[in-house]
Amino acid sequence: MVIGLNHYLILAAALFLTGAAGVLARRNTLIMLMGVEIMLCSVNIVFAAYSRALGDMSGHVFVIMNFAIAAAEAAIGLAILVAIYRIKRSVNADELNSLKE
Amino acid sequence: MEAVLFYLFGALLLGGAIAAMTSRSAVAAVVWLIFAFVNAAGIYALLAAPVLAILQILIYAGAIMVLFLFVVMMLQGPTLKSELKSIGDRKWWLPVGAVLVALLNWMHGVSLEGFTNDAPAGFGEIKGVAELLLNKYMITFEMISLVLLVAIIGAVALASNKKGMPW
Repeated sequence: MVIGLNHYLILAAALFLTGAAGVLARRNTLIMLMGVEIMLCSVNIVFAAYSRALGDMSGHVFVIMNFAIAAAEAAIGLAILVAIYRIKRSVNADELNSLKE
Repeated sequence: MEAVLFYLFGALLLGGAIAAMTSRSAVAAVVWLIFAFVNAAGIYALLAAPVLAILQILIYAGAIMVLFLFVVMMLQGPTLKSELKSIGDRKWWLPVGAVLVALLNWMHGVSLEGFTNDAPAGFGEIKGVAELLLNKYMITFEMISLVLLVAIIGAVALASNKKGMPW
């Protein structure tokens, strides 16, 4: 049995759905950020798979860019979480409703 | 051989991600995610991208998840109380289920044949990546450094103020 492009696309789609379900279902903002990381990782797999299928290495450059974006997102997101925790003493998304009232 | 490795790494990657998203403790989620990302490096190696495999382990499993681990250790306290019991009565499964149905619909007629071409000589090696990164995609490369600079300044500005937000 041979592994082709569509195998990788299906794996990436399943991974993206896992991350999206985590972001939507969980209320712990730390775990929601981890779901975003999973989604970024699945997009990286799509880039690398198409790179391999087309024999063009441009996709690898964008995977590296995505690594940097993920690192920046994690740093900023976690800094925001620390700042929020100092004010609210909680990282539960249900309790972050100051703008609702 | 390739198929065995693909299904092994793919199953471990997906299983690690699902375990991370369903675990009660955030520390356990971080450890599961490190496990998943190491297996994602295996997927990159199967895709003839050894540079990406090494960067995945160094940056994702190493740097980013350790950053997560620091913050989880710092904030983890009474933050997880009664969180999981509220998952069932949310409408999160509507968009996820819609995408899943679309995915299964697409998979219905999709061909599962192998790659039609072999990877060209030198594909995925650091020389080719570096040539693209420093010639054709030089602007992208500069933008990456700008994004990282903004992230450094933003993270320091957000997290250093003891009274909360900097404004």
